[in-house]
Amino acid sequence: MKRILNDIYKNRIWLIMVLPGTIWLLLFAYLPMFGQVLAFKDFRIHPDGFFASVITSEWVGWENFKYLFSTNDALIITRNTILYNLVFIVLGLVAAVTTAILLSELLNKRLSKVYQTGMLFPHFISWVIGSYFVFTFLSADSGLLNNVLGWFNIDPISWYNEPKFWPYLLVFMSLWKGVGYGSIIYLASIVGIDKTYYEAAMIDGASKWKQIKHVTLPMLKPLMIILTIMNVGRIFNSDFGLFYQVPRDSGTLYSVTNVIDTFVFRGLMTLGDIGMSTAAGLYQSVVGLILVLIANYIVRKLDEESALF
Amino acid sequence: MPNKLNQTQTPGNVSQPLNLKKDGGDIKRKKVRNPHSLHPVMNSIVSIFLGVFTFMCVFPFLYVIIISFTSEESIVRNGFQIIPSEWSMDAYNYLWGVKEQLLGSYGITIIVTVVGTVISVLMISFYAYAISRPQFKYRRFFTMLAFFTMLFSGGLVPTYIVVTQFLGLKNTIWALILPLVMNAFYIIIMRTFFMKSVSESILESARIDGASEWRIFFQIVFPLSLPGIATIALFSTLGYWNDWFTALLYIDNPKLVPLQALLMKIEANLEFMRQNVEVGLMQQSLFDTLPQESAKMAMVVIATLPIAVSYPFFQKYFISGLTIGGVKE
Amino acid sequence: MKKRFTILLALLLSIGTILAACSSKEGSSSEKDGKDGKPYEIKWYTIGTPQKDTDKVFEEVNKYLKEEINATVKMTQIDWGDWDQKSQVMINSGEAMDIIFTNGSKYVQNAQKGAFVALDEMLEKEGKELKDALDPALLEGVKIDGSIYGIPANKEAARQTVYTFNKRLVDKYGFDVSTVKTLEDLEPMLKVIKENESGVTPMATFKAYLPYDYIFNNEMPFAFPFEGGNDQVINQFESDLTMQTYKTMHSYYKAGYLKEDAATSKDSWPMDVENWFVRMGDSQPYADLLWSRSAKYDVVSVPAEQPVTINDSVSGSIQAISATSKNPKKAMEFLNLLNTDPYLRNLVDKGLEGVHYEKNADGMITDLPARIESYNIPTYSIGNFFTLYLYETDPTDKWEQFKLFNDSASAAPTLGFHFNNAPVRSEIAAITNISKEFYPALATGSVDPEEYLPKYNKKLKEAGIDKVLEEIQKQYDEWKKEQ
Repeated sequence: MKRILNDIYKNRIWLIMVLPGTIWLLLFAYLPMFGQVLAFKDFRIHPDGFFASVITSEWVGWENFKYLFSTNDALIITRNTILYNLVFIVLGLVAAVTTAILLSELLNKRLSKVYQTGMLFPHFISWVIGSYFVFTFLSADSGLLNNVLGWFNIDPISWYNEPKFWPYLLVFMSLWKGVGYGSIIYLASIVGIDKTYYEAAMIDGASKWKQIKHVTLPMLKPLMIILTIMNVGRIFNSDFGLFYQVPRDSGTLYSVTNVIDTFVFRGLMTLGDIGMSTAAGLYQSVVGLILVLIANYIVRKLDEESALF
Repeated sequence: MPNKLNQTQTPGNVSQPLNLKKDGGDIKRKKVRNPHSLHPVMNSIVSIFLGVFTFMCVFPFLYVIIISFTSEESIVRNGFQIIPSEWSMDAYNYLWGVKEQLLGSYGITIIVTVVGTVISVLMISFYAYAISRPQFKYRRFFTMLAFFTMLFSGGLVPTYIVVTQFLGLKNTIWALILPLVMNAFYIIIMRTFFMKSVSESILESARIDGASEWRIFFQIVFPLSLPGIATIALFSTLGYWNDWFTALLYIDNPKLVPLQALLMKIEANLEFMRQNVEVGLMQQSLFDTLPQESAKMAMVVIATLPIAVSYPFFQKYFISGLTIGGVKE
Repeated sequence: MKKRFTILLALLLSIGTILAACSSKEGSSSEKDGKDGKPYEIKWYTIGTPQKDTDKVFEEVNKYLKEEINATVKMTQIDWGDWDQKSQVMINSGEAMDIIFTNGSKYVQNAQKGAFVALDEMLEKEGKELKDALDPALLEGVKIDGSIYGIPANKEAARQTVYTFNKRLVDKYGFDVSTVKTLEDLEPMLKVIKENESGVTPMATFKAYLPYDYIFNNEMPFAFPFEGGNDQVINQFESDLTMQTYKTMHSYYKAGYLKEDAATSKDSWPMDVENWFVRMGDSQPYADLLWSRSAKYDVVSVPAEQPVTINDSVSGSIQAISATSKNPKKAMEFLNLLNTDPYLRNLVDKGLEGVHYEKNADGMITDLPARIESYNIPTYSIGNFFTLYLYETDPTDKWEQFKLFNDSASAAPTLGFHFNNAPVRSEIAAITNISKEFYPALATGSVDPEEYLPKYNKKLKEAGIDKVLEEIQKQYDEWKKEQ
């Protein structure tokens, strides 16, 4: 006991620093977490408020989770969710880092700034509006793309009924929206790199490519690893708007656009069951946690310094 | 491969340049150039490539501007067009008509964004700095504590209860600020920045000189990590500016509705009208005063432009980090 | 590490318990007065864009209510688009409130979950007059397991789906629309329009009408046919009629009578843009007049079905008393007054005389600009229609026609039957997804039913539709026995 108190005293300065944040985390993140028990309950409303409702609702075991696994669609949605996220993680990382490096290497700094600002624009455009934009291109009635195809005597394509194009389209849209925002972190990190490293490399006659390979990338590595680990944790979650709004909820495309989040959203439309939606969230979180722990374990084995914890 | 990585990656390791020299030893010597210069041909290619991508990013926004100048009748008849068949200023007339609400919402958004970002950056920096220090015995616990919240959220209803019933923040401006103050994602990024850009060796000398940890934090750590802090500040600013959901949950009072929430209301109302056509048909006047598509697009324009052009302000700090970084030698 | 987490968890749990204790104490110790002493404030949440003049009008409302029932009302409107999500969070979180607007399946779900107070007893006392004023079919339809959980707005209780035509085009080509009885009858007209009117889409996108009484909604497979006095639930997508209708729709689609993107269309086809020939909608007495007025050109409708009272048509607008209400009786007294007292009803709906509307010598009214700009209240959501002032432009027998319309309607087989989906929730979640996948494309004719209906039915089978059909039938039979 005395040792613990002693430790606390020794670490007081750090503890004070984390105190405000910890209070916030407890209040806004941990306190509401007790609501997760709803995943195992048949939620009924009690007149005395939510706590009473939670306590008096009946336990139903894994009942609320069943719908996530019971159908043939379960396999498809899980596959879609994982595959898209893997592609997003890999391509997103490559694109963001490449863009950041290229932007930092541009000779015309003013142009670089204009580009950076421009690339941030998609971040402000909601998927609803993004979907309008895509629709102007792909609409069967008046879409620009079909008009262009018409010039080459190619038959118009019913884009919203052709699943084969959509994996590429969705990946493209995801990159389009995310690259500008994603590259900011790396850009900030690159400018923070001590110039002396480059000078040293230069004295050794390292080419630009070698400089990037031996200075820039290694310096970005910790960030790349951390961000990837965090993304792995969200591998069962998806950007709802991208998969719901952009394909205009077109039924014929479900085989390639239905992911866990859209499945749950649609499934619960007629049910409106808070227990089942909590169950879905819990399932996504638990899988995420397991994957993060695995990823972190692997990173630790390879390189202890870069690991998250 | 792991071996090689190990040699060069250690963040903030002062001996790194030496390692690099060894690494680059077998490279054939070239004419000494400015370390940051790119070959002009390569530069042009990169410029064009990035230019095309930037154009693709900005283009939809131009398109939004075009729609905002399209007449509603033309939208109904022909859908959205790159070149509308009929131009109109109606959308902006509509916005002018509700300028009091708009100005009020601007005010709310700006206050929330500024106050929120300041609190957010301070709290996140403190937290992230502490868990980035090897002396802090409980750093792994507190890292986990923060990270765990990224995976497991409390869910909508319990959070709503904490904010409204426990903290009593409903219909106050704090309901728009506090729920977004911390974010595990930012904490972890910031921690990485601190680990990399603030090496213990510099701090050690300051400690020997008798500086307190607080002084060290504000006088050495903060300036050293400006690019990282600017990044978090930017993210936080964007987060607050774009946030509409907290307003949907916690604000009933029209005077406290921020700009993005106003925009999302229009979006959601349009969706409602689409799905409940009969409600509008039975009471003609009901939806007449509500904004339509073009007004929505005009809202996007006025809600996005100010924040988008504020980016250069943050960019400034991406560079100033460098010069201060140089002082440490 | 592990130990610390356990301690933390324990700490959190204890905080949670303390909170629970606090909140429940708050619930029980609060004042239940209102009869004597201070007037009770009724918290009322309802749908619609918040209006500027609400406070002004409710000052007047409260003056009146204090005298009548010693209560005041705080009405909070929640914007159209925010309503669903926000009201659901408020209900689930047990927010303290007295009256809340609800409708359709949301009403059923929340009532089944215990969110609303059962009103049967109060309807014999505090709400006696209200009960007498309501169309009995309405009360029958909102019964869940034998109890009434909300006050439906007394308006048109039945649904009548109609085909509505653009009259200018009907006259131009001399069509006789009165011959239209079915979807197939539209064919010759559509053909003429398609050939001669280039700026006009023959069919404003709609989903084909089928004469079924649906459990859930028209997208879901579960239905009772209207015809034939049938007590048997069926999968509507297996019937020959459905196949036939979708085939017709598909031939129309192929002929270009519908927009090519009909299945994913988000167009609302606003009336005021004259770019359509025929559309489908739900009617009410004098609907054509209303529609022509909002379109600013003439439209004409023919019925696609006889008026029928279904669960959906009686639950389109309901004011329910929240289970968290501290004084449900006061809330009932208010609802009673709101639905039976013409002065109060019109005050809440139309605003202040002289400010928001003007009354002429016959007692008919005209809106002033302030009504549209600062007190634009959705009439359908508030309550009883039959005590509303008529507008000068309204036909004088408007409400009589409404009553006739309601009386002429036949009751659907499932009126008052509300399926409890608890035993088959997983299946329903899956079936909803499958229906969203197939229904819009089939019902708009975008795909060939010969190919897609069998596919659809196969998937439904795999998702366990038989189990759901069985469960519905079981519950229905039990319900029927008790009638």
